[in-house]
Amino acid sequence: MDFAAVFDVSAAGMDFERMRLEATAANLANAQTSGTAFQPLRAIAASALPDSFDLRLAAALPRPLGAAIVPGNAAPRMVLDPGHPDADSRGFVAYPDVSPVSEMVRLVEIGRAYEANVRALGMARSMALKALEIGSER
Amino acid sequence: MNIPAIDPALVAAPSLGSMTESAGGSFSAWLEQQVRTTNTDIVSADNSVRHLAVGEPVNLHQVMVQLERARLQLELVVQVRNKLLDAYQDLLKMQI
Repeated sequence: MDFAAVFDVSAAGMDFERMRLEATAANLANAQTSGTAFQPLRAIAASALPDSFDLRLAAALPRPLGAAIVPGNAAPRMVLDPGHPDADSRGFVAYPDVSPVSEMVRLVEIGRAYEANVRALGMARSMALKALEIGSER
Repeated sequence: MNIPAIDPALVAAPSLGSMTESAGGSFSAWLEQQVRTTNTDIVSADNSVRHLAVGEPVNLHQVMVQLERARLQLELVVQVRNKLLDAYQDLLKMQI
């Protein structure tokens, strides 16, 4: 059934939103860890070329391509805290450059985008069920 | 602006003689194939539910999508079967 194509592409969108949620959750969880070992994470995916050979071969809809969680390269946030065991010679402690406000905004955005994917899938599903009702009202 | 009349040779009615059974399999083969697909879908949905139940890392939405796919496929086969039975009943009730 060709509704399966919508199912697949919506599921791929949900996969990507889940990956973004994982990256954001890791950022928030590690926001207060000292040291430069943790870099703020971002989930990125490239958009597929709408006319690429693979898509033509599979007759599929374009979907997020090569989604991956990658560390960013922002400079650490330096906080003056001379009593901290990780403080450097000048008394500064390095924290990952995570901004709780923008992470919260991203969380809301992820939730809404996931919801939109679910809605598109649900619409494909109810259209298919409606199509199967054709001719059966008696 | 001059608009020419429609050339009657271009709008020749398609002949009814071309309405033969399409090549590549009969209806029963199609139905069998659909029943097989339905069975595969249901089994794979069942498997992913099982994986979810035993706590393996399965994407929740993938499980739901698979369940929905299986349900739609089953619904399609059921509707085709209903139509087939209706037609059969109609033929059976026909007075000769």
